[in-house]
Amino acid sequence: MGQPLHAALWDRAAELAERCVRHPFVEGLGDGTLTEEIFKRYVAQDAYFLRAYLSAYALCAARAHDREAAALLVELQQGTLGELVLHAGYARRLEIDLAGVRPYRAAAAYCDFLLRTAWHETLDRTLAAMTPCMRLYSHLGTELARRGGSERRYGDWVKTYSGEEFGRLVGRLESLLDRVAEDTPAVEEHYLYALSCENDFFTASLEGGP
Amino acid sequence: MHKRAAGAGRRFESSPFVKEAGPLWKQATAAAFLDALAAGDLPGRAFNRWLGQDYHFARGLLSFQAIVLARVPRPAHATLIGGLAALDSELVWFEAHARRRDVSLDAPLHPACRRYTDFLIRAAYTEHPRALVAMLFGVEVSYLAAWSALEPKGPYAEFIERWSNPRFEEYVQALRRLAEEHHDAAGQQLFNEVLVHEREFWRMSREG
Repeated sequence: MGQPLHAALWDRAAELAERCVRHPFVEGLGDGTLTEEIFKRYVAQDAYFLRAYLSAYALCAARAHDREAAALLVELQQGTLGELVLHAGYARRLEIDLAGVRPYRAAAAYCDFLLRTAWHETLDRTLAAMTPCMRLYSHLGTELARRGGSERRYGDWVKTYSGEEFGRLVGRLESLLDRVAEDTPAVEEHYLYALSCENDFFTASLEGGP
Repeated sequence: MHKRAAGAGRRFESSPFVKEAGPLWKQATAAAFLDALAAGDLPGRAFNRWLGQDYHFARGLLSFQAIVLARVPRPAHATLIGGLAALDSELVWFEAHARRRDVSLDAPLHPACRRYTDFLIRAAYTEHPRALVAMLFGVEVSYLAAWSALEPKGPYAEFIERWSNPRFEEYVQALRRLAEEHHDAAGQQLFNEVLVHEREFWRMSREG
């Protein structure tokens, strides 16, 4: 028996994932040196992205073949809503306006890709486009927690994404991907492109656009 | 020599969409790539890269326009169906040129092309049909303006003529009439975003 699809895809994405781990934005998040200004920009952009992500889950649920998959997708949507609660907390504390966010080009491109796939393509490709975000954040959270990031300035962020609850959701999404998708070039391409969008998203947050 | 719609871009400068786009209009319709192409000193490699990516783009545009057609009211149908038929001929024409120039049409999508087509197709599903007509007008009018500003000479004269002929201008005028029936902020915003993608597409064509 070979490895499950989600693990094979994550292996093939190792270089891209490593680039995200070593991204100066992520390093600053872990060691607490990221300025508040940059973090605020990131939270606003991420909240914008998560609204597209929620829509993509809803479109997946509409395409689900069975009740079990539909129920799981609703559960995953709840998880994303939980992330938005975390963002709303940051917004209150740091005075970020989440209502009038203008997306940076990298954020708009990522949302366009995700929603184009969700509306226009198949369930397997949409799940392939959605999984890297979850797996990467779990990976980053775990990696930054290992370096002591939970005790530093952005400890809440690190704790959320290194936490058991988030890890459990990632595992559920990956099990659905394994069940629905085959290892095709299109599935791999969607998975890898989504990860490259994650990297660009960090860069845009760090640089403040365009 | 075919009849030409030389300098057609100027005839659209009175459109409220073009006026309100400000400097984006010029950025989307003039490019170093086009200047080099008209001067005959564009490297063959850059032209072939553009050809492959523009083919991908035309296929994305076909999807966009087909979805838009399904969502617009009845009076817009004839214009959009005519445009779809022309797009199909264009794809056939691209395929013939690619064969002749030995360009692979399966080349991977460049990020600039991918972002543009992702934007169009996402919007086709999620934006209001009125704003979608403004987007389609933006795609076609910027293309007409860019190509019809060039003299049809040199090794790429056939390409210049293709996108600066009077029938193409008539089509763009018909899109303009449809778009201008409802000029609002949402449509303008999407029109502007189209121009940003056009600008990035020309940059990609030149710089790779």
